Amino acid sequence: MQGNAVNYEELIPGYEFPPASYELSALLVSKYLQAVDGAGDGFVPPLAITACVIAAMSGSFSLPPGTIAIHASQELEFFKLVPIGATIECHTRVTQKITRGKMSMLILELEIFDQGNEKVQSGKATIALPT
Amino acid sequence: MLTEIQEGKTLNPVVKHITQEKINLYAEASGDFNPIHIDESFAAKTPFGGTIAHGMLNLAYVSEMMTSAFGRSWLSGGKLRAKFKEAARPGDTMTINGKIDCVEQKDDVSYANCSFKCCNQKGEAIVAGEAIVKISSGKK
Repeated sequence: MQGNAVNYEELIPGYEFPPASYELSALLVSKYLQAVDGAGDGFVPPLAITACVIAAMSGSFSLPPGTIAIHASQELEFFKLVPIGATIECHTRVTQKITRGKMSMLILELEIFDQGNEKVQSGKATIALPT
Repeated sequence: MLTEIQEGKTLNPVVKHITQEKINLYAEASGDFNPIHIDESFAAKTPFGGTIAHGMLNLAYVSEMMTSAFGRSWLSGGKLRAKFKEAARPGDTMTINGKIDCVEQKDDVSYANCSFKCCNQKGEAIVAGEAIVKISSGKK
């Protein structure tokens, strides 16, 4: 992902990341449940979907040298459950970019759809970049 | 699951112990290999002074509490807003508490408005926020 990473400077309000698809395999769900001490019920935990999408999206842009990205806040809305093995598509865009002194904040909106193009979840992530 | 949805009702708390092993597992599962979470020598040189857990790991614990209280109503009709206030670190024990602040009726649908807080063993708030669950619809 880093090879095609967008520069942080290019992330301006309105910027849309290319839509990304993810297969929510049984292995991925099993690893996730192990990591969170969770119990499975045949569906993908909604937070597993969000986590994968945020991780992939965070890896799709390169940060200024010496910067670390910290998750500052998260909003989420769940619309429907997704069965294990399904493929989802995520649409992400930059809604705000704020710089205050040595702190920069990137606010991203996410919309996740299933294969039938029905919305699975939506959300807003605020990523803080202290320098 | 909760048998009574009423204002002031507390949700069953969730208690989790954070370890570096769990953080590494979470990195592996989510694909989030930010070195602040998994690289102890890198993290030691940052203002955090050591590795920290992924914010989304703590949020998974919040979701566990909400799922235990509301079941599928949460998983396919929940809404949350969370602020990551402090970092959770390996060795921390997180306690996630929540309660129903009010039950609202809008257009024949009932919603439970909840607040939650994840605190470490020192009582410091690590994550705090609100969650809303659609709990019933009068529409046939």
